[in-house]
Amino acid sequence: MIAGSSVTGSAKPALLELVGVSKRFGRAPQETLAVRDLDIAIQPGEFVTLIGPSGCGKSTLFNMIAGLLPPDAQGTILFGGEPQGDGKLLGKVSFMPQKDLLFPWRTVLDNATLALEIEGLPRRAARQRAEALFPEFGLQGFERHYPHQLSGGMRQRVALMRTFLFERDLILLDEPFGALDALTRAIMQRWLLDIWARHRRTVLFITHDIDEAIFLGDRVLVMTARPGTITLDERIDLPRPRDPAVITSEPFMGIKRRLLAILEQESLKSFAVARP
Amino acid sequence: MRLWATVLPPCAAILVLLAVWQAATTGFRVPDYILPDPLAIIGTIGSSAGSLGSALGVTVEEAMLGFAIGAGIAILLAILMVLVPPVETALVPVVVALNAVPAVAFVPLALIWFGLGIWSKVGIAALSVNLVVLLNALGGLKAPDAAAIDLLRSYGARPLGVLWRLRLPAAMPAIVTGLRIGLSRSTIAVIVAEMLGAYTGIGQIIYQSTAQVDYLTVWAAVLVAVIASLLLYAVLVVIDRKLVWWS
Amino acid sequence: MKAILGSPLGAGAVLALAWLVLVPLLHVPPLILPSLPAIIRDALSVWPALAAGFLRTLLETVLGFVLGAALGVGCGVAFAYARWLERAILPLFVASQTVPVIAFGAIVVIWFGNTLLEKVMIAFYLTFFPVTVNTIRGLRSSDPERLALLRSFGASGWQRFVKLALPSAAPVIIIGLKLGISLSLAGAIVGEWFGATVGLGVMLLQSLYDEQTARVWVLIIACGLLGALLNGAISLAERRFVWWRPA
Repeated sequence: MIAGSSVTGSAKPALLELVGVSKRFGRAPQETLAVRDLDIAIQPGEFVTLIGPSGCGKSTLFNMIAGLLPPDAQGTILFGGEPQGDGKLLGKVSFMPQKDLLFPWRTVLDNATLALEIEGLPRRAARQRAEALFPEFGLQGFERHYPHQLSGGMRQRVALMRTFLFERDLILLDEPFGALDALTRAIMQRWLLDIWARHRRTVLFITHDIDEAIFLGDRVLVMTARPGTITLDERIDLPRPRDPAVITSEPFMGIKRRLLAILEQESLKSFAVARP
Repeated sequence: MRLWATVLPPCAAILVLLAVWQAATTGFRVPDYILPDPLAIIGTIGSSAGSLGSALGVTVEEAMLGFAIGAGIAILLAILMVLVPPVETALVPVVVALNAVPAVAFVPLALIWFGLGIWSKVGIAALSVNLVVLLNALGGLKAPDAAAIDLLRSYGARPLGVLWRLRLPAAMPAIVTGLRIGLSRSTIAVIVAEMLGAYTGIGQIIYQSTAQVDYLTVWAAVLVAVIASLLLYAVLVVIDRKLVWWS
Repeated sequence: MKAILGSPLGAGAVLALAWLVLVPLLHVPPLILPSLPAIIRDALSVWPALAAGFLRTLLETVLGFVLGAALGVGCGVAFAYARWLERAILPLFVASQTVPVIAFGAIVVIWFGNTLLEKVMIAFYLTFFPVTVNTIRGLRSSDPERLALLRSFGASGWQRFVKLALPSAAPVIIIGLKLGISLSLAGAIVGEWFGATVGLGVMLLQSLYDEQTARVWVLIIACGLLGALLNGAISLAERRFVWWRPA
């Protein structure tokens, strides 16, 4: 159930649509329901953030959108208006998991071009395309370095570069800034919005940080505790480009209070279940 | 259920192999000196059970003795090297050099030093086992990181205490791996040494049968050695599971 | 300090020095350990045969190793991707590593005669199994998260193999290759014992029959040098191709 609604009645279909999507793991009687009846619609060019308590199934959701897991039979995922069968989504969405997952035997440059290589782009062309982005991502001069020589923040940026180079309409970012310290995270957030404004892709962004979710998003989707479903779809009408100072403004705090209340409710449910 | 799934396919594979072997050798009338048929080999094992059995006994005894001595010295040495670092520094060149030489190259030396009796075989076995267990034990004992060691020291533990409470348990998987490899190496080392010079033992039987052009006995002796090795290996797997169940 | 001692050159230098000084000092009987000058004199006296033997054994080892490694990696890949094959045959492979395969030397001579091929076959057999087992283990050790990442990019099975499975397996395969090369050398030497005219193993056997302790030591050192050379080659390959630390 979605409180609030996304844009309806427009001529162009939503870029990504989930209709009644659920996912069960395991076999009866020990099967677990990870996510339940997800109904989500994402329009082209939107920046949508997703927030929820631990274990609510956010990563399961992302795995389904990336095509790595099929949804249960009764739900459908539509991409560009077309329903996607099992595995059809593979290669259609640019997915960045929580860990940077760089390949230690490849240089930074070759890590960035990994997805392009898989696409079939010849090495030289792929490298040229990547090299053009290095200054923008703050990694100029590190092309021939290896991942173990880079800091955590830099490795995350390489992974982001890999994600952006894989030119797909939809980008999935799973807590990309989770492992960074607060200062680096603030810088990366502003920088990400900058890049998004320039490249104009559609972004679905998971986070556990409410400030981050509100600061970055056009919309914030709130997930319940397991089995996760969308309990709130909040439109963020703060002006763009987002000023860092907006975090302490009254409208921001108002939204935050609303979201906090729901999130605390849901988080307590997780804790209650965990206690013996 | 799971035991069957793991044991059945290889057993089936062996049976298929034996069947094909038997059919091919009898069907193509392959002469004994090239490839005897499995039934004839088994027959020879039966008829020579006495001599093969006692020879096997000697070989296994030498291997076990060598294994115990080699492994024991290796573990003690490893502990000593960890407690007294200068010992390690002094011994490093020796270990590196010994490791580079294939153990089989030492067999003639062992025979010259200890003669044809069991002690040359025990010595070779001990040598092959010693190096592998030593290197594994040393690696395992040194594995705990400085943070863990400092923690114990902050509780007032002395080096011996750190050894007993932290290093030895942490090293168990590596040591057991070393023991497994060492055991199989000791059997092979003993048999090779026996082939070059011995009064008795499976290796000696293989050598003599070859000289007497009695290839059926060669195969029989080899088969007996193979079965003994496999049994020893099975024993080791069981011990491994009992000792290192947590890894 | 330890690094210098641990390197083959450093270890050799230190040992040579100790040998030079300690043997006369402790009055060690030449039957146990001849003095270093005596060893050197003996080596020089048979220099041509020694050099020829060194090269011959090197050739047998390398040929056997290359064949065994190539087939081993090939089989490893096949087994890693055909689970039914692996379930049936891998346990046999693992168990066969404990079997005294060297005992088959006599039979291998019967099959292949007293030729270069015979030694190569023994070396090949000894290399083949550990390389296969390690290849399978290595290919299976691919990080599942990185695998999922590649799938999300739409990577085909072949792409996943070349870009992830193979590089992930390389460190483990190298371990198998290191094991293989030592076994290959041992196999070549023992193969020569069953009949050959040129080779380190041949000379070793001859020195045993002639009870020439000095010659035995010369050959032990020669085998050690050969072993160090081969191991060094693999280590060089390791540093060039498998230098990264696992993520």
